Amino acid sequence: MLHIKCPHCGLRSQNEFSYGGDATVKRPELNKEISDQDWDNYVYLRKSPRGKHLELWQHISGCRQWIKVERDTLTHEISKTLKANEEL
Amino acid sequence: MSQNFRLEKGGLINRNKKISFKFNGKKYFGFEGDTIASALIANGVHLVGRSFKYHRPRGFFGAGVDEPYAILQMNRNNEVDPNVRATEQELFEGLEAKSVNCWPNVDFDIGAINNFLNKFFPAGFYYKTFMWPKSFWYKIYEPIIRKAAGFGAASINHDKERYEHKYEYCDLLITGSGPSGLASAYAAAQNGAKVILAEDKPRFGGSLLTSEATIGNQSGKEWVDTIISKLKSMKNVIVKNRSQVFGYYDHNMLVMSERVSDHLPETEKYTPKQRLWYIRAKEVVISSGSIERPLVFGNNDAPGVMLSSAAKEYLKVYGVLVGKKPIIFTNNDSGYETAIEFKKNGIDPVVLDTRISPDSEIINEAKNLNITIKNSYVVVAAKGYKKVKSADIAKISDDKKKLSRIENIECDCICVSGFWTPSIHLASQSGNKTKFNEQIDSFIPNKSKQKETTLGSANGIFTLGETLKTSFEKGNELSKQLTNNDNKISIPAVVEKKSSEHDKFWCVPLPKGKNYKRFLDFQNDVAVSDIELALREGYRSIEHVKRYTTLGMATDQGKTSNLNGLQLVSELENKVVPQVGHTTFRPPYTPVSIGAIVGREVGKHSKPTRKSPMHYWHEKNNAVFVDAGVWLRPRYYKQGSENLFEASKREAKNVRQNVGICDVTTLGKIDIKGPDSAEFLNRVYTNAWLKLPIGKARYGVMLREDGIVMDDGTTTRISENHYHMTTTTAQAANVLSHLEYYLQLVWPELNVNVVSSTEQWAGAAIAGPKSRSVMQKLFPSLDVSNDGLPFMGYIEGNLFGIKARIYRISFSGELAYEVNVESDNGNFMWEKIMEVGKEFNIQPYGTEALSTLRIEMGHVAGSELDGRTIPYDNSLEGLISKKKDFIGKRSLSKKAYVAEDRQKIVGVVPLDKKTSIPEGSYIVKDAKAKLPNPKLGHVSASCWSVEHDNPFSLAIIKDGKNMIGQKLFALSPLKNKSIPVEIVSSHYVDPKGERVRS
Amino acid sequence: MQKYSVFSLIKNAFSNHEKWEIAWKDPAPKSEYDVVIIGGGGHGLATAYYLAKEHNITKVAVIEKGWIGGGNVGRNTTIIRSNYMHDENGLFSEFGMDLWRNMSQDLNFNIMFSPRGIINLAHSDAQMNAYSRRGNSMRLNGIDAVLLNRDEVKKLIPMADFSENVRFPIFGGLMQPSAGTARHDAVAWGYARQADSMGVDIIQHCEVTGFDVVNGKIQGVQTSRGNIKAKKIGLCVAGSTNVLAEKLNMTLPVETHLLQACVSEPIKPILDQVVTFGAGHFYCSQSDKGEMVMGGDLDGYNSYAQRGNLPTLQHVLTEGIAMFPFLSKLKMLRTWGGIMDMSMDGSPIIDKTHIDGLYLNCGWCYGGFKATPASGWTFAHTIAQDRPHDLNAGYSLNRFSTGHLIDEKGLGTKTWIS
Repeated sequence: MLHIKCPHCGLRSQNEFSYGGDATVKRPELNKEISDQDWDNYVYLRKSPRGKHLELWQHISGCRQWIKVERDTLTHEISKTLKANEEL
Repeated sequence: MSQNFRLEKGGLINRNKKISFKFNGKKYFGFEGDTIASALIANGVHLVGRSFKYHRPRGFFGAGVDEPYAILQMNRNNEVDPNVRATEQELFEGLEAKSVNCWPNVDFDIGAINNFLNKFFPAGFYYKTFMWPKSFWYKIYEPIIRKAAGFGAASINHDKERYEHKYEYCDLLITGSGPSGLASAYAAAQNGAKVILAEDKPRFGGSLLTSEATIGNQSGKEWVDTIISKLKSMKNVIVKNRSQVFGYYDHNMLVMSERVSDHLPETEKYTPKQRLWYIRAKEVVISSGSIERPLVFGNNDAPGVMLSSAAKEYLKVYGVLVGKKPIIFTNNDSGYETAIEFKKNGIDPVVLDTRISPDSEIINEAKNLNITIKNSYVVVAAKGYKKVKSADIAKISDDKKKLSRIENIECDCICVSGFWTPSIHLASQSGNKTKFNEQIDSFIPNKSKQKETTLGSANGIFTLGETLKTSFEKGNELSKQLTNNDNKISIPAVVEKKSSEHDKFWCVPLPKGKNYKRFLDFQNDVAVSDIELALREGYRSIEHVKRYTTLGMATDQGKTSNLNGLQLVSELENKVVPQVGHTTFRPPYTPVSIGAIVGREVGKHSKPTRKSPMHYWHEKNNAVFVDAGVWLRPRYYKQGSENLFEASKREAKNVRQNVGICDVTTLGKIDIKGPDSAEFLNRVYTNAWLKLPIGKARYGVMLREDGIVMDDGTTTRISENHYHMTTTTAQAANVLSHLEYYLQLVWPELNVNVVSSTEQWAGAAIAGPKSRSVMQKLFPSLDVSNDGLPFMGYIEGNLFGIKARIYRISFSGELAYEVNVESDNGNFMWEKIMEVGKEFNIQPYGTEALSTLRIEMGHVAGSELDGRTIPYDNSLEGLISKKKDFIGKRSLSKKAYVAEDRQKIVGVVPLDKKTSIPEGSYIVKDAKAKLPNPKLGHVSASCWSVEHDNPFSLAIIKDGKNMIGQKLFALSPLKNKSIPVEIVSSHYVDPKGERVRS
Repeated sequence: MQKYSVFSLIKNAFSNHEKWEIAWKDPAPKSEYDVVIIGGGGHGLATAYYLAKEHNITKVAVIEKGWIGGGNVGRNTTIIRSNYMHDENGLFSEFGMDLWRNMSQDLNFNIMFSPRGIINLAHSDAQMNAYSRRGNSMRLNGIDAVLLNRDEVKKLIPMADFSENVRFPIFGGLMQPSAGTARHDAVAWGYARQADSMGVDIIQHCEVTGFDVVNGKIQGVQTSRGNIKAKKIGLCVAGSTNVLAEKLNMTLPVETHLLQACVSEPIKPILDQVVTFGAGHFYCSQSDKGEMVMGGDLDGYNSYAQRGNLPTLQHVLTEGIAMFPFLSKLKMLRTWGGIMDMSMDGSPIIDKTHIDGLYLNCGWCYGGFKATPASGWTFAHTIAQDRPHDLNAGYSLNRFSTGHLIDEKGLGTKTWIS
């Protein structure tokens, strides 16, 4: 069971969190012209790297904040956790 | 039978307490502190089972967790425990056990015919045959194979036992209470660290219990007792026996199973049978010791052939002789310790040492005791079928290739020692890439991957002095970092005999003309010839070898067979062992009961149950409940002998004619506050939200980014910056997370807060033409007329002294209101409504009537919003704003979504107006078309229209908008139904929506 | 090639099994092939076999980073079924069922196909209806399906929880009687042996390090054992799809996740069918050896580690006991993890790519093992003919742009939710 450091609450076990996928996917701005391809890239395409992966988790049974976690998908080592508004 | 093989004295058992037990129906006696294995051996019983494939007789091979043979079926307190390891199960009064995998009994087992035919059953033989005729595999061969396989039989009765979970955090978790575990635990505890010391066996001490070495002035056992009693007295230490740390998971999470009651005749009240510990440790000390390796020779699986360390343990711990004419067959000094122990107890062993001229303190002691020692000697083959009776032994040449002077000597047991294999399982599980140590020809842990430190023989250190020294030091060092204390402990002096180097020889060649089976994996019957065959056939990767031969895949998980298998493969492939590599260790280290893993979440408690505040009213009024996710909702209220169909029809009809009341508490509710709430809703929902006035509700649909409908519901503007959103019961949690996602990550600039208020409000829908009359009585001071509270209006009121929120919204299509009060007042509200509604003939209605009402109105619900439909499919395109952007809008322009003949919701009526169309039927043009029959779409929901008094269904079908009026078929092959139908509008009742506005 | 039969087994017994031939050779890579299949798993080996058998293309190499069959074909719960709702999935899988039924004879290797039936348990009328929708779709596609009521289920699997102390009572179930299981490793070995005998080179311990693409056309592949030229290359590497796609500068609608499974200690036969739990995600069958083979949810976060965590298994086994209370007294013997290609609609991709000569086979989610023969057969067709067969036309890469998605579960792009 992973041990995730919530930037708001501290170190907590994984079962307090729910996963939210790739954090590097950026939603296109509202009302902005965008090509079909760019839109589909946003909705469907994922890099899913082997190695460091910046991903979203929500501290769902805690502060309910969405946080960013940099985790190695091969070793599960967590190198960093960030608040929603922070960038690597 | 008396305990013929029990020594007069000695051992750690309690001779004052005699215990009776039954094995295969026969009564035996043992002592408190025995295992089934030690007690049976004391009684001279060695034949306890049969092997998996050849059904060869099986005895005892080890004395603990590594046991590959002695798997028994046990009865404890009238419950069946299949696959109990006799070497681990402690004896209790009245224990009953029997052999498995044999028929009619272990002594005479029909399955043993396999052994005589074993020539035809080499590794993987089943891949090469049983193919003709085709149907025979499944019908004939497989059932026979299945019947022959398997060990114990499971009972299908429910497990009455209780299992618990516990979560712990500690500074140091120490896995094993041998010398390295005790020393490191003691050192760490002295520094004030929070320590958990876990021991698999009932007795602490590990190898110290059978060691002759002294520590300080104490024997090993005395030293163990001293340290354990000190540790037990310390508040910062948890000491646990019968507790196996079986898994090393990510981020230093380890899991331990504690066998709390397995050693007792029955589980005491308020105590679990087993307890599973999730332990998050800052540092982990792996002190799991090592397991002796077998030597491989002909018929080395015969009962009576066992590990030399096990023989010693039976002697020293249980006071039991595994035989009275032992051969000790060894390639290292460990065998001599066993031999000496035999000798001290008046038994004359013969030692066969594979080494040419070994010399050490231990060997000298054996010589001084006049023990017969034959150097450069091997056991060629064990003789005897159900028990070893003699052994063919031989001189082996210095190059270990040739045998000479083969002779047969009598014996009743053969104790083998092929040196030691460190138990690196936990280290490997933690991610440690282990390395091969040539000196001990075994893998040992490499650089730590997580916070683990391996000590003692698990790390390949086999001298007590060095083990204690490094373990005291490591225990101090690891705890020092965590506690900042540095209480150095003076390391006690150790007196132990020095050993000489072991011989790397482990597999005895076959004598000319002999074709003995030489076993590697004792449970799965994998012999040297099987490995040879696998390699010959090209299954060369160690994983292929393992899978092809099933080496190491038995319930002992290869604890005694893996390394010998590796050595054999490397020898045959002319590689060194590390090139062949070992298969990765995965948890569990030893099999763990599934009940313990699951814990308390069984039966009714397997998932939570959520109930509305009015639940007990429903119960009292004959509600029949239905699961809606984890909620329980009334499905219908049974009157007299009504069935579901009759009751729901009555309830729905009463809504259409009079007034009904429905518990809608389970709907998700989200409180939304902040100055940007309107803007936020405008982005979340597909329709416009910026101009919703205060005191008004609006129906909204929200999409996923892929354009698929996620959920629907009404949201009400309570005040300037305050909205109340409702979601479907099923999607409540997802919608909240969805909103939080966009607020926190995508549009953090919006000043909005959301919080779930599902539990805060109890809700009742009051629906039907007479609902206004009920409302007037409920809220005499409020104007609930069509002007005072128009459709989609909202007001707050006072319901007999309690605060209420009143929404004029409708799911049934009738004039309707929804009243919310704080949950605690839910039952009060409900009873008041029933009370004032009585004169209007109010009746409660359940989810079934609710469905009927919504279906005939053409309102979509979960069966249409199934995660695959876009708004158009559900005739919700009118809610798609063209003017603004919203979540998922960009996806709606996809080719498939704008296709002319896109699927759309329609109504379906059977031509005979009688035959109900089963939900899940398909609409087709030609009922008799050849398969695959092209489908136009499926029937998503069906009801008996109370308005029209005939069946009515909703369907989502291709080109739905142009299908109205067509005569087609609804097919349900599962129910053998083909129903001619007409396609009609999905709005079967009040298509203009006049009633809700009346 | 040596024929396997009971006669050859007896014959070889008398020469102490010393005359068995090698099942497949272990050649070094040649410098050039007509087709290189990357990935020596079930799908890759099947593709090579059908290229040779159906299309007479034998200058083929299967290159594998580790040992063949080491990926998901050797790490699954061996379930074979075609109980799908969507036509694309149903028709494709049912075509595969025919291949399964004849596979042992076709490959002359007993893959132990055991059509013991699969039962999906339903725990509410709503679920019975959802299953009816699926079952009716199957029937209209010519696939066998039967709707069972509670009593009929009880007759087949009396060991399921029919007691009062149950959170989600069994209402009934949907059964596909022709579904079943097979011996997973044997499938890989059987395909390897036949492909090898028809001239395919099976090259193990050969890792792809890069691709040669010139002017939008594939030229070959760079490997740890040198460069290999190829006219066509098929990518068949579920679990590593994203890693290889990165080397091709492609991003795919696929995420990589871990699925765990476990077995209990062997017990005497108790369960004949494959059974799935309806009020959660748990499935179970009993192997010929007697082990209960069990699986369920993904670990729930992107992962390439073939190791999982216990809470997921705890959750899965909780549902296991809810379905089969007798499991409580058994012991969990072995656990393992497989790396899944989770596609964004839960269905696979078998298609050409924008690179000429490069073909893609990925996105199998939980369903890769049972698809092995149909996937190999259609992928071979797609490569040989340079166009998809009707059976895999729906499994196109551009369906995510056009909206022709095949979403059996209706969960969309959150692949980690099951």
